Amino acid sequence: MPRLTKPLLLTILLVSAVTCVGQSTTGTVSMSATVSKFVEINSGGAVTLTGNSGGGVTTDGVANSPLAVSINLGELGPSNTNSFVTAQVPLRLRSNAAYVLSMTATVTSSGTTSNRIGAADVGFGLGTITRSGSGVNPSGTDTNATSGDPTLAANGSVNATTGRYEFTAVRSNLSAFSSATTALSGPFIMNAVPRSNVNGLSVPAFFAIKPQFFENGTTTISVTFTVTAP
Amino acid sequence: MRFFIFLTLLVFVVGVQTASAQALDISSGGLPTITGSVNGSVTGTANVTGDLVVTINFGEVSPLNTNSVVKVLVPIALRSNQPYQVSVSMSGLTNANSEALQASDVGFGVQNPRLLGGAGQICNQSSHIIRSPFNNDPALSATISGSGRVSYPSTLASLSGPTVILSGPELSKNNSSKRQQSDGWIFDAVFALTPQFFVSGVSSATLIFTISPGPNVPC
Repeated sequence: MPRLTKPLLLTILLVSAVTCVGQSTTGTVSMSATVSKFVEINSGGAVTLTGNSGGGVTTDGVANSPLAVSINLGELGPSNTNSFVTAQVPLRLRSNAAYVLSMTATVTSSGTTSNRIGAADVGFGLGTITRSGSGVNPSGTDTNATSGDPTLAANGSVNATTGRYEFTAVRSNLSAFSSATTALSGPFIMNAVPRSNVNGLSVPAFFAIKPQFFENGTTTISVTFTVTAP
Repeated sequence: MRFFIFLTLLVFVVGVQTASAQALDISSGGLPTITGSVNGSVTGTANVTGDLVVTINFGEVSPLNTNSVVKVLVPIALRSNQPYQVSVSMSGLTNANSEALQASDVGFGVQNPRLLGGAGQICNQSSHIIRSPFNNDPALSATISGSGRVSYPSTLASLSGPTVILSGPELSKNNSSKRQQSDGWIFDAVFALTPQFFVSGVSSATLIFTISPGPNVPC
């Protein structure tokens, strides 16, 4: 009898063990998620054009829409008696990481002499930087690499020798941006909020030209802003 | 003869242990699904007799993912011949930076308890109770908090140690020693994660679902 029972018992034990493997009182759910660095630049709103004679805003900015603004600065010869023709373009930046805003500008003129409008004749600067609204990181210091509003007296003057008006301050005209050059940088802009939150960092970009005895012709100014998270 | 008695007792003990093992069981309740993800995935078995081993990759949850929410639904099957409870414990997801992904950013709810086939037990004297605050679909109940961050009625931060999320009466009609295709109940564990301006990085967490004897409620 014991001879028969031993194999029988072993079989039962084996069957029991196999049965138990099929059941469990615990289960596991493992999860992961990735957050990549994210930056974006959009329009901060409508363009403001002042001091112009003729011209106008051809394609205006729309807040939180892609930045694609087109401006006709109008007459820039002496027949425009205003001190400056100034375009103020609001920018809106958002990021979850430290950011760098750089800019590249090209200026092409139909003129053929040194009296044509060149990159150095187009004043540029970034204005007051504002971090406000729900979901925006209010702390940290943004570094403006430009000299601000180019029409400020401190940022330009008439050259005593040539008589030409010059934007003389640091990075105060487009000749400083013939290749990608940092205009603004700072720490992360947005706290952990969804993209549907419309707030962000706002800063106006100023472009200014002083009407002068430029060589007659037409001039095209193209500016590209790029924001990165290095 | 003495040896035979010993063997008989041993067989009895083994039999008792086997019955105990089959009293409470948790397994896959079907194929998990994911929606709204970018480069995300979820793996698990569609076989309701397979173990509950699910891997969720929510994918990209920065604003690069323009979907409103990443939602993952994990069906979980339960079997028992006695009152039960299901608890969940979590490990991981401990980012020090408050603007990085936190446990409170992952909505977690329990939905849709339903029979797993004809051998699932229907009890008239007690019902299956999804414990507060987990009775919600977090993907449908997300709100924006005062800070602008997305919040949910219940999240992974609602898990404080092993936390009971579900309990009720016995789940199975039979006392089969094996998992079967139709001998219990299924519920859905629902996870939701809204893409936001989180601080960059990779986060991970592990949840352990455990079924154990629950409050003694009648069937």
